[in-house]
Amino acid sequence: MLEAYSYAPNNGDPLVCEEEVNMSTLERLRTLFIDKFDFNVHELKPTATLEYLGLDSLDKIEFMFDIESEFHITIPDQEFKVVTIQDMVDAVDRFVSEQRIGPSSPAMISNN
Amino acid sequence: MQMKRRVAVTGLGIISPCGNNISDFSANIMTGKSGVRRISSEYSNLLSVKIAGEVNFNPLDYLPKRQASTLDRVNQFALAAASQARKDAELSLGTKEKERAGVYIGSGMGGANTIESEYDQLFRHNAYRIKPLTVLMVMNNASASHISIEYGLSGPCLTVSTACASSTNAIGEAFRQIRDGYVDVMLAGGTEAFLTYGSFRSWESLRVLAAEDPDDPSRSCKPFSKNRTGLVLGEGAAVVVLEEIGRATRRGAPIYAELLGYGSTSDADHIARPSLEGQARSMSEALKDAGVMPKNIDYINAHGTATQWNDLLETQAIKKVFGEHAYKVPVSSTKSMHGHTMGAAGAIEFVVSLLTIKHQALPPTINLDQPDPECDLDYVPNVGRKGVKVNTVMSNSFAFGGTNAVLIARKLEI
Repeated sequence: MLEAYSYAPNNGDPLVCEEEVNMSTLERLRTLFIDKFDFNVHELKPTATLEYLGLDSLDKIEFMFDIESEFHITIPDQEFKVVTIQDMVDAVDRFVSEQRIGPSSPAMISNN
Repeated sequence: MQMKRRVAVTGLGIISPCGNNISDFSANIMTGKSGVRRISSEYSNLLSVKIAGEVNFNPLDYLPKRQASTLDRVNQFALAAASQARKDAELSLGTKEKERAGVYIGSGMGGANTIESEYDQLFRHNAYRIKPLTVLMVMNNASASHISIEYGLSGPCLTVSTACASSTNAIGEAFRQIRDGYVDVMLAGGTEAFLTYGSFRSWESLRVLAAEDPDDPSRSCKPFSKNRTGLVLGEGAAVVVLEEIGRATRRGAPIYAELLGYGSTSDADHIARPSLEGQARSMSEALKDAGVMPKNIDYINAHGTATQWNDLLETQAIKKVFGEHAYKVPVSSTKSMHGHTMGAAGAIEFVVSLLTIKHQALPPTINLDQPDPECDLDYVPNVGRKGVKVNTVMSNSFAFGGTNAVLIARKLEI
């Protein structure tokens, strides 16, 4: 599940690395969205709001559960205030970096 | 005195081990085709009894993926049956009419599959969290509410849980809502999807399950037969559209029958042992409510679970109520084919009863190979009958807990 990050420390350019991480988070979220809600990938633009996509509060709670499984993170109650898909990507990346331990953690990279 | 309003049945829907639409179901039941078989689940090798009436069901045939994933199997069954019934009745309601339309659904076990799978995650796999919608999938009233939401029916929406009589009570109470003038249209029925490892184990412990027939697993449920060994668990759902008769006739709705009477009693005696007295009183109450004499009943769909006690006492109760006519009225147990679908049983069997009127035909009690001298009525053994006169029918449900419920319907005479 974490292979997207495993090559990051070996990548010379931190900027490219960050973008690749983002791309892959977005893609993985898109896959989750499509699996669960039958969306078309073209509907899942980073700027699309969850409201626009028709997700209600229960859908969001269910989706948080799937995100936790996919990214091996725990999303604390009250800490997933996202409006757009990009917000979701950012939040997931933040939780991943906060909650991961080990040399390949993005948090560790930025400390380097 | 003001005339009581009358109630027509204008639509039927079914999900069952014997077919997932009315025409397949009817063809199978009338020709004695069993839906009982060896179960496919991975835990079956752990069970002493490995047979059931399982439904072959793909929720995506009825529901968008997104909706299906938020529903327990029991809710999916209910929505599928309701959608068939509504379509069958060609029912469409305006905003004001929806306020005078409601949903009564029977269910004994609610979201049993979800409760089992999610608790299994907790207890066996040490999961630290379970599916977020568990509460909403497990609650007993979810099925009725989903039907109400799906069709915007904003009158009364209740769930009836009286074990094996749940959906007979649901239909009977819905009937009274219309008859007493509170509403004009009801979607009523029952749903059950409880074929889980925990359920099988629970029923096994109670020692009421049929042993598998050594020659043919599909022939394991043998109501009224001397060699009966118990009930076979089943799952499914049935929903009927009930409608005030004037409304139904004005719009030219297809009418299966008039729902004429309903009786419900409690044994007030024992939590599991059936009572002759309680069963007989429920039949008498239904006859009185319908204004029908016993001699006018042309067919009885028995509760007929194939346990020693039920079949004996139900036979005696029918004799007590019907007197000499008991020997003339055909009585069959279609549980021999679809198994005991608990909260859905009454609704499924009410549908069977209506189909006898529609087709002027009777479904058999299959697997009745060894007549029991103490069960000596006409159980329509093994072979269905065509070309019989069926005007007025009775459908019996007698539950654990002691609740008895009986419905009577009659071919419409205006």
